[in-house]
Amino acid sequence: MRPVPASGTDVFLCRLVDVPDGGSRGFDPARTGQDTVVVVRRGERLYAWRDACPHHGGTPMAWRKDAYLNAARDRIVCAAHGAQFDIATGICTLGPCLGQRLQKVVLDVRANEIYLKET
Amino acid sequence: MNIIGPDALVFGVDDVAACAQYLIDYGLEPVDVDDKGGRFEALDGTAIVIRHKDDATLAAGLGTASMLRKTVYGVADAQALAAIAAELRQDRDVRTLPDGSLETVDDMGFVLGFQLTVRRPLDLPAEAVNAPGAPNRPVNHTAVDENAPARPRTLSHVVYFVPDAAKAEAFYVERLGFACTDRLLGAGPFLKPAGTIDHHTLFLIQTPPFMKGCEHFTFHMGGPTEVLQAGTRFVNKGYQSFWGPGRHKMGSNWFWYFNSPLGCHVEYDADMDLHDDRWTARAIPMSADASQLFLFQQRDKWAPGGPPPGAAGAGERH
Repeated sequence: MRPVPASGTDVFLCRLVDVPDGGSRGFDPARTGQDTVVVVRRGERLYAWRDACPHHGGTPMAWRKDAYLNAARDRIVCAAHGAQFDIATGICTLGPCLGQRLQKVVLDVRANEIYLKET
Repeated sequence: MNIIGPDALVFGVDDVAACAQYLIDYGLEPVDVDDKGGRFEALDGTAIVIRHKDDATLAAGLGTASMLRKTVYGVADAQALAAIAAELRQDRDVRTLPDGSLETVDDMGFVLGFQLTVRRPLDLPAEAVNAPGAPNRPVNHTAVDENAPARPRTLSHVVYFVPDAAKAEAFYVERLGFACTDRLLGAGPFLKPAGTIDHHTLFLIQTPPFMKGCEHFTFHMGGPTEVLQAGTRFVNKGYQSFWGPGRHKMGSNWFWYFNSPLGCHVEYDADMDLHDDRWTARAIPMSADASQLFLFQQRDKWAPGGPPPGAAGAGERH
């Protein structure tokens, strides 16, 4: 699916239903060849963070494409050293970057489509 | 003490099903595996063992994000096992488990096991490389086999994050007969037990206490082509490359590291240097340049004449 330019410079990521409820998905909006944004969905709520663990200065966190969550699906986990992050606040609750946090990414949802707000 | 190297690493994991699929896709053979976990073996019988983190049969955790619960060393014979027990019982509890193995704790709190090694001798050729003046592959034998199994041969080494690398090193050297083969200053020592000539089976990295745990483990492959072939298959299944492929300086091993659901990195490696008592350990400051001879990054297959490679096609991949 090719990114569709929206109003302004927002970048279309996907439809809301393309992120499974309770699950996560990675995106590569800048087309770097590797996912740089992780989106977690809980019902209608979305949480978006840069896919960059603060421990190693920005290394990717998934262990497999789109696999960012623990078994209970209540934490984002960095699959480098097992650091855990609160989904809603991005704060590291366990691991090498304890006390640090993920960098927030701003989304806009319009007509059940998810856009990355360029800031 | 005739310690050969790690026979097994035991992990208490959060997501057993994810870890099981990961280790199978990495190339290990599931043995006695069910939804509670099990054993994932390399060709010589060395293994990764996973259980759920709340499994009562597991040794206690390290109190950090690390999921490593135990490092089980294989030793050559009963005499070596007895010597280890006698040495370590001088200052710590060493339990003999029902299977005859020993269980104790190192000076950093890592649980250790010692057992008569389960390693089966391997009779497999190394990757054969032809060079002018040195033909190594029989005539009419093609090197490339797209369907080559490229399976992990043996558990090579484990790397620990430790809060006191000097104290940790002293335990393995003075109490268990390991030798330092090389040292990255600012990180820590590469250590080799007496029963192997591999450059290292253990590498220690100094970190703050809250990071204590396993940084990575790796299995030896049959050569650099197997590292790249197995790693490429792993990437194509969606697994996340972390570092590599490349070639380390100390140890000379080819490497490719991946993220994993085991709370640590998992590596493929090959062609590690071998050393004996005549070797003098080097010591150089840790840096990116000291760490690797060269470093590459996987990209999608492409050929001249085809569509533009790399980032231009990235949007299509989602």
